[in-house]
Amino acid sequence: MSRENTKFLVVDDFSTMRRIVKNLLHDLGYSNVTEADDGKTALPMLQSGNFEFLITDWNMPGMPGIDLLRAVRADAKLAKLPVLMLTAEAKREQIVTAAQAGCNGYVIKPFTAVTLKEKLDKIFDALGTPP
Amino acid sequence: MAAERPSVLHEKYGDRFEALARAYAAGQELEFEAELDELLRVRERSLFVEIGRLSRDLNAALERFTFDSRIVDLAEKDVPDARQRLAHVLTMTDEAAHRTMDLVEGACPLAERTRASAASIAPLWDEFRARRIEVRDFRSMLDQIDRFLADVQVDAERIRSNLSEVLLAQGYQDLTGQIIRSVMHLVEEVEQALGNLVRLSNTGEGGGSVVSHVPTDDAATEDVSRRGYGPPVPGVAHGTVVTGQQDVDSLLSGLGL
Repeated sequence: MSRENTKFLVVDDFSTMRRIVKNLLHDLGYSNVTEADDGKTALPMLQSGNFEFLITDWNMPGMPGIDLLRAVRADAKLAKLPVLMLTAEAKREQIVTAAQAGCNGYVIKPFTAVTLKEKLDKIFDALGTPP
Repeated sequence: MAAERPSVLHEKYGDRFEALARAYAAGQELEFEAELDELLRVRERSLFVEIGRLSRDLNAALERFTFDSRIVDLAEKDVPDARQRLAHVLTMTDEAAHRTMDLVEGACPLAERTRASAASIAPLWDEFRARRIEVRDFRSMLDQIDRFLADVQVDAERIRSNLSEVLLAQGYQDLTGQIIRSVMHLVEEVEQALGNLVRLSNTGEGGGSVVSHVPTDDAATEDVSRRGYGPPVPGVAHGTVVTGQQDVDSLLSGLGL
């Protein structure tokens, strides 16, 4: 599997942010991107959709991102799915909580295209996915 | 306590009192004792009613106290915080609009230069295609095309990068949206508190029940830390927050991530 074919799921309750992330991913060469507007919608999609990468916000109505992350890690089929948190949540203890819950990266909003690329590359490198 | 009116007195105690007086006059000790006991029971019953009313008043006062302290919190902390949050929203929308316009203003002249260069090459190119171009013009056209090809690559890259930045600048909608949502939540709470105040002032002391949803502190804290606090706002207390991506990275690398 090469990085560019990775199947992404982008979860954010703001459609503007989903569009931004989707466009940035396209710019970086990732064209297989699907969207969901909160954890509750995302989880069944993840369970049935063969997604290979999850980018999720934290603060969402319905199911927040931290709960989605925990649900993913608790699901044997999804436990190894790479998860990048992309959020404005900035409390130190929240970042620690997310790390302990098993996220692979944490990008704080507002962010730059360079930061997003760096974190994605870093996660793919750690997974040993060929560029 | 105010003296009870004669009719109330008669109604409440009249029969018993007369029976008591009759037993007394007749020297009937047993009847006298029985009537006296009955009189005391009537007295006790009205005492219980009074105590019941007092306890209801106390309960209402306690509810009002919890509710009042929430109003104090709203007035002293949450509303000024909300003002600060909205001021921050104003700043963010202002910055995003200017950032977008700066980027567009930076890109427009580049697009215009590309158009102008192509327009100045076009007549020479037409001559060339019609095979009637002068040698001198042909050389000039080649020079212009050389410059054009070099410039277009640089300018188009600048335009592409500006457009990408414009896209990112729209992230303000998410960030300000989260803040506005929290203020809307507060407005809803203030509306409810004011409604309760109106209801209290209409029903007067001790009357009416106050609908106040005061979550227990622990439950509220647990819920908000799970749900998230939204973007930090300068001047509004948020505890220890990171200052940017670098801060996040060093925190995570300290945790071995």
